[in-house]
Amino acid sequence: MSAAAPPTGPVTLAEARWPEPDDQQPPRIPGFIVSPFNPLVAAVADRCLRAAHGTPETADPRRLERTAIVLASADGDTATADAVGRAVADGSRVQPLLFFQSNPNAVAGHVAARWGLRGPVSCVRTADADALPAALAAAELLLLDGDATEVLVIAADAAAGTPGEARARLLAPAPHPVPPRLTAPPKGNPHP
Amino acid sequence: MPGGDPARQVVVTGLAVLSALGDGTGPLVEAAWAGKPAFAPVTRFDVAGRRVRHAAHLPGAPRLAAELTRVVGEAAAGAGLDREQAGRAPLLLALHSDTRTAATVAEVGAAVRDTVGLPAVTSTAVGACTASSGALADAAVLLTAGRAQTAVVAAGYLVEPDTYALFDAASALSRDGEVRPFSRDRRGPLLGDAVVAVVLETAGSAHSRGVRPLAALAGWGRTGDAHHVCRPAPDGAGLARAVTAALARAGVAPGDVGYVNANGTGSVLADAAETRALHAVFGPGDGPPVSSTKSVHGHALEASALLEFAVTVESLRAGLLPVNAGYLGSADDCRLDLVLHAPREARPRYALSLNSAFGGANTALLVEAAA
Repeated sequence: MSAAAPPTGPVTLAEARWPEPDDQQPPRIPGFIVSPFNPLVAAVADRCLRAAHGTPETADPRRLERTAIVLASADGDTATADAVGRAVADGSRVQPLLFFQSNPNAVAGHVAARWGLRGPVSCVRTADADALPAALAAAELLLLDGDATEVLVIAADAAAGTPGEARARLLAPAPHPVPPRLTAPPKGNPHP
Repeated sequence: MPGGDPARQVVVTGLAVLSALGDGTGPLVEAAWAGKPAFAPVTRFDVAGRRVRHAAHLPGAPRLAAELTRVVGEAAAGAGLDREQAGRAPLLLALHSDTRTAATVAEVGAAVRDTVGLPAVTSTAVGACTASSGALADAAVLLTAGRAQTAVVAAGYLVEPDTYALFDAASALSRDGEVRPFSRDRRGPLLGDAVVAVVLETAGSAHSRGVRPLAALAGWGRTGDAHHVCRPAPDGAGLARAVTAALARAGVAPGDVGYVNANGTGSVLADAAETRALHAVFGPGDGPPVSSTKSVHGHALEASALLEFAVTVESLRAGLLPVNAGYLGSADDCRLDLVLHAPREARPRYALSLNSAFGGANTALLVEAAA
């Protein structure tokens, strides 16, 4: 008897990138300063969620309730880190607002609050310059875990002096690749 | 887990810690049981221009990559991992995201490949104060999904001038040199050193190797508040959902939880929100004993959750609940059964370790005492 087909990876419900050809600067976010990283993350997240849901007002709150966020970056928010490092090194005043954006969770929380996403919030740094594969791997674990039924995946990097580039995908678990009536009864315990 | 395969239960077989209290879990839990804080004037770097000048840090300036490598080696040795088994184990890190992160990851990855045989760094979580609990949950998912038999989770934060300056600039640090979770006149956290490594393993793997687990990770839950970039939702609903998810995963009722190692940063808003979360889960006057050991070892940011997980494991093993230090008297918005003044003898089967972070992230880890 052949084994059941292995589960396939998550399916993509929507995707987005920033910039698209006609894009200018991402919109500023109140309370976030200095760095292009955070507006970039918020812009690509908003674009992806709009593609999936329309607006926060038209979205199905039951889906948002169990949507997680994974934010991945190879270099992180270098502009904020550099601004703090410079201020500390030369003894000048550290801007208090930088505290709030000093961790990538802050902008993830901004996106979550704007859209009502109440699933897990996770941020990762990646060894590869392309942060997307690691972001997808992290998202797959959250879907496997069951604490989220959809995951907004964001891969963003903004090298010094550039507006940066970002991609986003909204993922959901794949339906079982083989219709249940065709599968053999599971052996042992099916709990993941 | 309810209906789960017992052989796939997640157990802890290795644990190693470096904190401001010194090397090992011994000095850490002795201080936590005594309620003796490690806060002192900062000597590691210049704090002359800062409002606050205290933290819980080790003498000198230990190197994060070297200490992470060392604790991973200790935890692996404690678990009795041989190189063949380590060679199949994912390594999940949790670190602060800054300009040194990538170099630290690269150095640790190369070093533990040599010393322990771990093949590579699988992931690096940087999501603030739930980074290491999230990494622990990810590792548990890898084990329960059958993708690994063993996983190593390591986290480190050593107090450094940039983050200290940020907290100070935002007036986020406690100005009276102490951390007073759930107390009246609480004024915020103080930072602390922590470098921690945990070996997680399936119960089946530990059994087949003849290794006696230190504890089990019976459940975990992760949620978001969807409220604010850095403030917790005042009603604590997100944290309560994380606790409920952790309990449900394990099939454990709230009444079976005998201790909560709280997030308890000592900040006015967060402690009140956490109290509401605990009241929502356990009832307002009927909850288990609670303490925040951040009052002793400080807030180690991305490493804090793993440090507090270690304290929780060791407290269950010893049958002694740690003290919520720095307490000045009851606060109307934090009415809990706090462990005050002296450690409390108790042998609960289950304890929770809770954490919340910027971005509204919440995690709950349900620790089960070893049988």
